Amino acid sequence: MLTLPIHDLPTRNASGFLLRYVLPRSLPPQLVGPTDRKFLFSTLTIGDIIIGVGHGAPSVFCGHNDQVILDVYSIPDVRGKVVILISCETAQVLGPELIKAGAASYLGFQKDLTWIVDADLASTPWGDNLAAPVMMPIVDCVNGVLDGKTTEEAFAILIDQFSRNSEVEEDELIRACLNFNKKNALLLGNPEARLRARPKIQLPLPPPPIIAPIFKI
Amino acid sequence: MPNQAWEKLKEALKKPPTTEARKEAAEAFKEYERTKKAAGRPSSRPTLVSLGYKKPYPTAVPLEKIADELQRNPAFFEHFREVVEEEG
Repeated sequence: MLTLPIHDLPTRNASGFLLRYVLPRSLPPQLVGPTDRKFLFSTLTIGDIIIGVGHGAPSVFCGHNDQVILDVYSIPDVRGKVVILISCETAQVLGPELIKAGAASYLGFQKDLTWIVDADLASTPWGDNLAAPVMMPIVDCVNGVLDGKTTEEAFAILIDQFSRNSEVEEDELIRACLNFNKKNALLLGNPEARLRARPKIQLPLPPPPIIAPIFKI
Repeated sequence: MPNQAWEKLKEALKKPPTTEARKEAAEAFKEYERTKKAAGRPSSRPTLVSLGYKKPYPTAVPLEKIADELQRNPAFFEHFREVVEEEG
């Protein structure tokens, strides 16, 4: 399960990187844009992984247009699944509740996931060099899980890349974002959890530009 | 030069978010942006974003508006301080 809202600048940027580098390797259902709805999310429980981009708070995770699609009161069947929420603050309450509900591993952030984007590249976010220092470690972490690495190994990829990017980053604000996100990244559950490895599929060309309007900036 | 301006910004953000402190931080951020541009750092329309839900501050703030937001919004001041103090 992959959920990729694209209704505003932060969701579009993060979803754009996953569209480019993760979506070709993930199995359906893939809820992109307006299809990223609570009804579909709650009923489609097949698969061994949930990868979600969206706005979040300690106990909720949102889909397209900030519709709450996952909260502590309505957790779908997550038994044995690896859950990765590319969102804010869900590691505080929702992450532990997902583990209590039987998820094998949860990976997310305790505070705001924050980074710098180039708003001029909203339709082609995968080419955003301001966002890449933060987004590519997340992409590589997700792909680590899809490669069949343990969640602990994939989490180490995230932390190592945040650190390495921070060491070479010249822009102070981007460096601060990298360190802030690194400090707030959290892995819960079984660190030895791993999925069946997916084939390494990479699109030879970038996806077509995202032309849907941005409603909020 | 951007480093000096950055350090000044960090110092300004350490204060409690009073009106004066927020104004001082806003001025410090403007100075940081000026020195960055003078140093020729590439920029197009850089925007600070986050994936928070129902936050008391916007989830997308263009860098050119950060000074205004720092001055106007104590919650954003606190959030920005938390991020900036991690710079190292």
